[in-house]
Amino acid sequence: MSAATPAAARAGRRRIEPWTLAGAALLVLLLFFSVLPMAWMLATSIKTQFAAVQYPPEWIPRNPTLEQYYRLLSPRNEVGREFLGYLLNSLWVSTATTVLGVLVGVPAAYAFSRFRFPGRNLLFYAVLVRNMFPAVVFLMPLFIMMRWMGLVNTHASLILTYLTFGLPLSIWLLKGFYDNIPVQLEQAARIDGASRFKAFLLVVMPLSAPGIIATAIYSFITAWNEYVYALTFLNEKSRLTLPVGLQRFFTEFASNWPGLMAASFIMSVPVVVLFLVLQKWFVKALTEGAVKS
Amino acid sequence: MPISDPVAARERPIATPAAASRPRSDGVLARIVRHRADYLYVLPALGVMALVIAYPVYFTVYLSFFNTPPNLALEDKIFVGFANYGRIVAAESFHEATWNTLVWTLFSTLFAFVLGFGAAITLDRELFGRSVLRGTLLVPYVISAVAASYVWRWLYHSDFGVIGAMLVALGLTDGPINILDNRSRVMPALIVVNVWKEFPFAMIMMLAGLQTVPDQLLRAARVDGASAWQRFWHVTMPHLRGVSLVTVLLLLVTNLNSFTIPWIMTGGGPAGASEIWITQVYQLAFGRIRFGLASAYSVILFGVMMAMGWFYVRALTRGEDRSPG
Repeated sequence: MSAATPAAARAGRRRIEPWTLAGAALLVLLLFFSVLPMAWMLATSIKTQFAAVQYPPEWIPRNPTLEQYYRLLSPRNEVGREFLGYLLNSLWVSTATTVLGVLVGVPAAYAFSRFRFPGRNLLFYAVLVRNMFPAVVFLMPLFIMMRWMGLVNTHASLILTYLTFGLPLSIWLLKGFYDNIPVQLEQAARIDGASRFKAFLLVVMPLSAPGIIATAIYSFITAWNEYVYALTFLNEKSRLTLPVGLQRFFTEFASNWPGLMAASFIMSVPVVVLFLVLQKWFVKALTEGAVKS
Repeated sequence: MPISDPVAARERPIATPAAASRPRSDGVLARIVRHRADYLYVLPALGVMALVIAYPVYFTVYLSFFNTPPNLALEDKIFVGFANYGRIVAAESFHEATWNTLVWTLFSTLFAFVLGFGAAITLDRELFGRSVLRGTLLVPYVISAVAASYVWRWLYHSDFGVIGAMLVALGLTDGPINILDNRSRVMPALIVVNVWKEFPFAMIMMLAGLQTVPDQLLRAARVDGASAWQRFWHVTMPHLRGVSLVTVLLLLVTNLNSFTIPWIMTGGGPAGASEIWITQVYQLAFGRIRFGLASAYSVILFGVMMAMGWFYVRALTRGEDRSPG
């Protein structure tokens, strides 16, 4: 900050270290690196198909148009109906995964944080080790299982899978939040005559609300973006979620880059908005466990 | 270790006094019985996980000893012993994929960590618009890998790509340049996308780590005349050992497991030049429907991941209580 005004810069010239300059340069480069692809996605999405394939490229669209967005979001045409279908499927699968994940994850995380039961550590390591396995490795047995249970091509197959694979991380994140709530608060409630469950519900739950929200957002974003399982378990067009739907769009309209970029943009909006609004909690959730050790 | 211990001690959750005062001499069975109600909280989670994790692991190992028919009528499978493993290990394409996986994992991790760490150091100070900056840098991390892959395919496009146009503008090439269809350019190009997507993760992890470095120590070092580099190396770095280790391990594991970016951007092409383990397993399993062979491949990967998982758990639980139960 000392370099912000000329006066301060003169006064504190000795204190501007080369590291600060290097840092600023790095930051500018990284910003450019991060933002350029997204800016280009947005710019392309508001071009006509003709303008998108000019060489050299039009850096700023000369005749911006929302044509692609109308097409994708209007239920009156084929493409729009298809895209809105994918959108609703994604919304349903992500929401169901998130809600179920919180319902199952909260009690488990609480137990891992508070109770010292035999096998607790072993179970918890199992939870962590699960994160090591690549999704693809689970695909074949799960695919066969889903086929056997008659769940192939259903949203239930995805919800069940996302729930399971989301749980270890959710439990880990939530446990971090519970660890930070002083146990004395519950003990006070117990002394006042509340049962353990009541103390959990009335004292711990409200205090851990931010943690639960952060974890829920994380599950939602993960489910919303998930691709491999959706690619494998679903093949009926009307059931596809957005990531797979996007791929289908690409094969169907290979040269319509503005359309594809508009679809990518619409798909990114919900997660980016959720993330930006709750950035603080999201960051906390991501880093909670790791910083402690 | 001794240097980071005070931090760990301060951050450690308060142990329940109830647990501390419990006698530890009674038998396991008695303790299980006494704690039976506690299991109720964990049971739903464990139940679901046993179904969707334990069974698949067992099934993959089982299937890896069989030849499976392409119509997946599993009752017609043929026992072949370790033949599937032999075929995987002997295949030329496996060696190329292994090399690519190593390159992909190591370089992605290295660049993501270095850039993320650099960004974290830069952002770890009073800075105008700091949270906006952090938010902007994090956006690539939260958007869908599928959307990101298509955006980058468009950026790399051989005729109308912006990156080609920029290279021309900088005078580095004469005309449009083929990036993803070129055997020697495809891996670096994919690694750039991957780093773009995950350096923000390293950034927030390291930023969180930096915030645990006590200000007094840095100020004391400054008063004692330590240079910026000395302060960083002797005061900040020792505090970041734990979080760096966890971040690097998580990045390594994520990169070993990546699928979406290579799959969508090149599908392993051109001619296997960007094939990595995971895309190859997927191709074997769901492209060629060779479940037995793909299972053997998966089991080999299990082994690698388990070894890494062991390090991960050790890094993550260091300094936490290690009571046997």
